[in-house]
Amino acid sequence: MIEFIQQTVTGLMTGSLYALVAAGIVLVYKSTHVVSLAHGQLVAFGALFFWLFLSGFGLPFWVGLIPAFILTALLGLAIERVALRPLIGQPLLAAFLMTFAIFIALEGVFVLYLKGETRTLPHFLPGGNLALSGLSIPINQLIGFCVALLLFGLLSLIFKYTKLGLGMRATAEDHRLAQSTGIVVKNIFSYIWILSGIVAAIAGIATANVMDIYYMLPYIGINGLIVAICGGLDSLAGALVVGLLLGVVENVGAAYLDPLVGGGIKDVAGYAVLLLVLLIRPYGLFGLVKIERI
Amino acid sequence: MRPCGVFDKSYALDMAIIRTWQHWAILLSALLTLYLFPLFGSYYLVSFINLLSISIIVVLGLQIVSGFCGQISFGQAAFMAVGAYTSSILTIRYGVPFWVALPLSGIMAGAVGIIGGAPSLRIKGMYLAMATIAIHFVVIWLILHMQITGSFKGLYPMPPSICGFEFDTDERMFYIIVTVMIIMTYGARNLMRSKVGRAFVAIRDNDLAGEVMGVNLYYYKLLAFFISCFYAGVAGSLWAHLITVVNTEQFTLLHALEYVGMLIIGGMGSVPGVFFGVLFIRILNELVMFASPALAKAVPWLGSSPAASLGLIAFGLAMAVFLVFEPRGLAHRWEIFKSSYRLYPFAH
Repeated sequence: MIEFIQQTVTGLMTGSLYALVAAGIVLVYKSTHVVSLAHGQLVAFGALFFWLFLSGFGLPFWVGLIPAFILTALLGLAIERVALRPLIGQPLLAAFLMTFAIFIALEGVFVLYLKGETRTLPHFLPGGNLALSGLSIPINQLIGFCVALLLFGLLSLIFKYTKLGLGMRATAEDHRLAQSTGIVVKNIFSYIWILSGIVAAIAGIATANVMDIYYMLPYIGINGLIVAICGGLDSLAGALVVGLLLGVVENVGAAYLDPLVGGGIKDVAGYAVLLLVLLIRPYGLFGLVKIERI
Repeated sequence: MRPCGVFDKSYALDMAIIRTWQHWAILLSALLTLYLFPLFGSYYLVSFINLLSISIIVVLGLQIVSGFCGQISFGQAAFMAVGAYTSSILTIRYGVPFWVALPLSGIMAGAVGIIGGAPSLRIKGMYLAMATIAIHFVVIWLILHMQITGSFKGLYPMPPSICGFEFDTDERMFYIIVTVMIIMTYGARNLMRSKVGRAFVAIRDNDLAGEVMGVNLYYYKLLAFFISCFYAGVAGSLWAHLITVVNTEQFTLLHALEYVGMLIIGGMGSVPGVFFGVLFIRILNELVMFASPALAKAVPWLGSSPAASLGLIAFGLAMAVFLVFEPRGLAHRWEIFKSSYRLYPFAH
């Protein structure tokens, strides 16, 4: 039993990272209806920028955060301005394919910069394990978990109570209607990409705090995409719930099924869950069901 | 646009793909050059054309499911893997001759493709694209975790042979691969002129409206996936017996993305577009291969072997540029070129 709880708790920690990555994708989808495959790269670059300022320039932790946030936000803004804005008015699939072109191009830059090495963030947070009646929880993962919860709370507050959040929600509802009520939709798009860049940087730093920065890091974006789609692309709460759930499923599944099938459940659990969810509820567990008319 | 002075005197002539004697001359001389190519072409070029032809078969399949039927699929690399593994297992473990294993691997990949295409009955667009990415990973995972596929070590199929004649060099495989490629191209071109092709286009343009008009969505969507995966499976089989080493490293998600990129650059919904797209990306890759050592020498920061990452950057940028400036692909440019030289010196 203690083994099961341990696996569940570890799964929750991993899942909070997935939820963090998914949060950025949900943000972008909520207001622009573009599903960003490139988000994984934003996450990876956020971690890389942070590493650069911490290890490369030797900045202290709190000071290093700010330029990392700014650079990642700028990268997000650049993607929106250069690549996605010319596609306004084209079918949404073109925008999706564009984000995947950006993913590949940035993947090239990322691999080129790393040159096959791995980068480890210096320990800027207290490490060690928290022992709790037989459970052992690594502190750095626990911090990531708390950051995820805090961030989700903050984002839902922004969406609920600020004027910007109201504008974003209005834009999500109907671009043309929002424009006609005086909301500058283009600005909202820019803000949302900046916000999503910052969220990506947070996700990247939290991820890199747990594992190394290496060539597979951008592919956490695909896990984030799975979580975002399973949760329903326009639901922040769905991203959090499904993210945590996916982490638990992966971990518990790996612990109990791996000996039966010879390992590797972790690599495939997310995709199996995605296929199941898409077959049962195509618009995600918490998503808005769209009705199609001719 | 019809050239001036070309009239159709019979229904058969109206339906013909190749309608003038100039067309026949160009086609026959092109085929003759292609088949005589290994006699005078260098080894490098021959193996390059082999690679091109295999990619063309895969992307033709993708064109059928994505370009014609409108179901974006990122799973093509996995279906190619199914074909490659099926062919290898059949020839190595069961002693089936290559000539039987080739169509069988296509059918096997098609069967897997029907299972993989099942989500398309309920979802479409970006959701389906994600589902096919998931299918890619599930298929690769299954291949890695089955006994019969040799797991991580992979398989080592033999080159095909007929009556003691071994197709063991690239020049000899060239004839098989190019012949299959031509047959498959002809098949794809003609498929579009049939009832099935029209049903696919109806589904692409508006699947609900298509269903109202009496197109059986379930049947035709799954058929599109079957045909597409059949192409991928045949290409996989050819690949396996050309390279004679099969492992999952050859069929990654990046390969699948590359095929989609070729389709976009070539142009969705056009058979010649497949040729342009594949040629464009492969030549781009070769250019990067040639340029990167010099570039690495000029800019030491890039490291010793920047070819792979520079290739990714070039590919991603090319795709982005095409999506913005030429979303209908090179095939559209080719159509404009054709009508302008036919009408020369008039503008319209």
